[in-house]
Amino acid sequence: MDITTRTENDITLIAFAGNLDTNTSPEAQQALDGIVEAGGTKIVVDFTTLDYISSAGLRVLLATAKRLNGVGGTMHMFGLNDTVEEVFEISGFSTIFKVFSDENAALAGL
Amino acid sequence: MTDLGTIPLNRDAAVREARRKVRQVLQILTADDLLSTRIGSGVSAVGRAMLREGMAPVLRLGLDQRDGSSSFLLVFHDRQPLRVPESVLAVFDDVEAGRAGASDWEVRIRVRLRQWSGMDEHRTAELRAIVQQKSRDELMDELQVKNRELQESFENLQRTTSAKERMESELNIGRDIQMRMLPMDFPAFPLRREFDVYAVLHPAREVGGDFYDFFMIDEDRVCFGIGDVSGKGVPSALFMAMTKTLIKSRASNDFSPASILTHVNDEMAENNESAMFVTIWLGILDLRNGTVTYTNAGHNPPYVRRADGALERLAKRHGPVVGAMEGMVYGEAELTLHAGDAVLLYTDGVTEAMDPGQALYEEQRLVSTLEAGESAVPEDMVRATVDDVWRFQADAEQADDVTVLALAYHGTPEGATRRSFRMTIGADLGEIAQVNTAFDEYADTHDVSSKIRRSMNVVFDELLNNTISYGFEGRDDGEVTIEVELGTDRLSVTLTDNGKPFNPFGTAPPDTQLSVEEREIGGLGIHLVRQMMDEVTYHRRTDRNVVILAKLLAEDGAPERT
Repeated sequence: MDITTRTENDITLIAFAGNLDTNTSPEAQQALDGIVEAGGTKIVVDFTTLDYISSAGLRVLLATAKRLNGVGGTMHMFGLNDTVEEVFEISGFSTIFKVFSDENAALAGL
Repeated sequence: MTDLGTIPLNRDAAVREARRKVRQVLQILTADDLLSTRIGSGVSAVGRAMLREGMAPVLRLGLDQRDGSSSFLLVFHDRQPLRVPESVLAVFDDVEAGRAGASDWEVRIRVRLRQWSGMDEHRTAELRAIVQQKSRDELMDELQVKNRELQESFENLQRTTSAKERMESELNIGRDIQMRMLPMDFPAFPLRREFDVYAVLHPAREVGGDFYDFFMIDEDRVCFGIGDVSGKGVPSALFMAMTKTLIKSRASNDFSPASILTHVNDEMAENNESAMFVTIWLGILDLRNGTVTYTNAGHNPPYVRRADGALERLAKRHGPVVGAMEGMVYGEAELTLHAGDAVLLYTDGVTEAMDPGQALYEEQRLVSTLEAGESAVPEDMVRATVDDVWRFQADAEQADDVTVLALAYHGTPEGATRRSFRMTIGADLGEIAQVNTAFDEYADTHDVSSKIRRSMNVVFDELLNNTISYGFEGRDDGEVTIEVELGTDRLSVTLTDNGKPFNPFGTAPPDTQLSVEEREIGGLGIHLVRQMMDEVTYHRRTDRNVVILAKLLAEDGAPERT
């Protein structure tokens, strides 16, 4: 699992490469917590190079969304492959998260 | 209506059996203990009330869908009017009683199912197996019908002949029952190129009770075994017939010899006033990979003859003789046969054969015979063994049944590649990554689409995380075995663990409509597994949890979801 982050103005982009599952989610949680703790309130998650996500990964996203809600922040996502999209659909996350077709659309919405 | 089978309610034991089956089926359908107990008790009350009134109905179980809801149906059916007191029927919400035809009467009870995720072939087959599994009493009934002629002639003899002649005749009748139960047509499976089997049973004049058996459980599995019942005559033959029938009935939906014998032992030991017992060696060969899972319940150790002629003694025993004591849990072991390997099973009639000077044949002489034999053809191996026993025995009288069975494995047919994958991991979350890495390689080699490969990655992560986190409660001997098999239209996966009993599919799905603030993750993993797989089933087998999954390899990408 590789995590890369960059900031554009007040927006933090974070990209996950590989899998978001039991073994990698603690690391992902740490990275997202870091952004929120540093005062970041606008987060864009790039899933373009994410292979799959399991419920352990969903838990990380949900926890982050809850924290952001508490401080009036927002999280956008894009680049879901068909498996990640299917997991979002089945779990109902596609209706509670803001998912965009590409990076520009995700950034424009913030 | 999807028919699950019928249970005759002609005596108290049958009513108890019906109650047990109804409870078991409802538990699988709904995982609702309260409901299954309530309906089970209701069935028992209705059944007993009918018996008291002299009725002997048949209970038919089924499932149906109407107006978008699913129901479990219980239909009591008889050729005479069925009357049941209202108070007994009050536990059910939905009852219709009356004539079902010119000469048929029915009481139909409908149980509406709230939490039910639908039916597939696997599940229907599992439920049918439960309903149709024959109890000890039913088997006894059948056997008694089968042997009515024998019984009658036996009774006649008892009336008319002297004690000595009677004893002789009883032995003959027992022998007749025993021999009729054995498969004796060879070649037994002329169309199967993966294996060959041959067996003989030479009955002794007096003492006996040996048996052997072999049959296909399904396309890929052969069950084979040998046994020796204590005692002689009709009781011993009936005991043997019952053992053999119970094994076959149980093996139809249970591929673990340990689990089969644990179950058969309980059935046989219950009410076993004659204190008879049987030694059994039972194996199940998976024709796809040569794996033999086997249990030795107090029987003589068989031999494996490898393709190069080397012999291996399967010395370990996994439990006591069958039928002696209820509640025994049997173990099992595994061995792998490669093309050209064979297994030879025998009874103590071989090793305890006596020569005219009263010396025993002994296992060492059997080993020498097997070592000297050049052929790995089952018929040759069996004949060589038996011929040597006769040579040794010379003109001494045969003291006990001599039974020998050999099975040779020829490998999978040419061109069929090994398309299975198997690994075992310890109870460590870190090992999930290894499973997924190994599975990715397997998927790559066998051109499994990346969509299906990723679905499996998610499913492995969910199920293994669950089992490893909650199944072992700090035990350090926890392990999970993952088996994957690629068929023509499906990917089949079996996960087996030695953790505490837990049916992952027994819980209700989470509410996926809630907002961010209200959402919890609990239950979501299993929900993903259910939705991403096309078939999911759970079985408890002896001391193991077995989860079986299937993913259809549909051409058009995403399979339908419900």
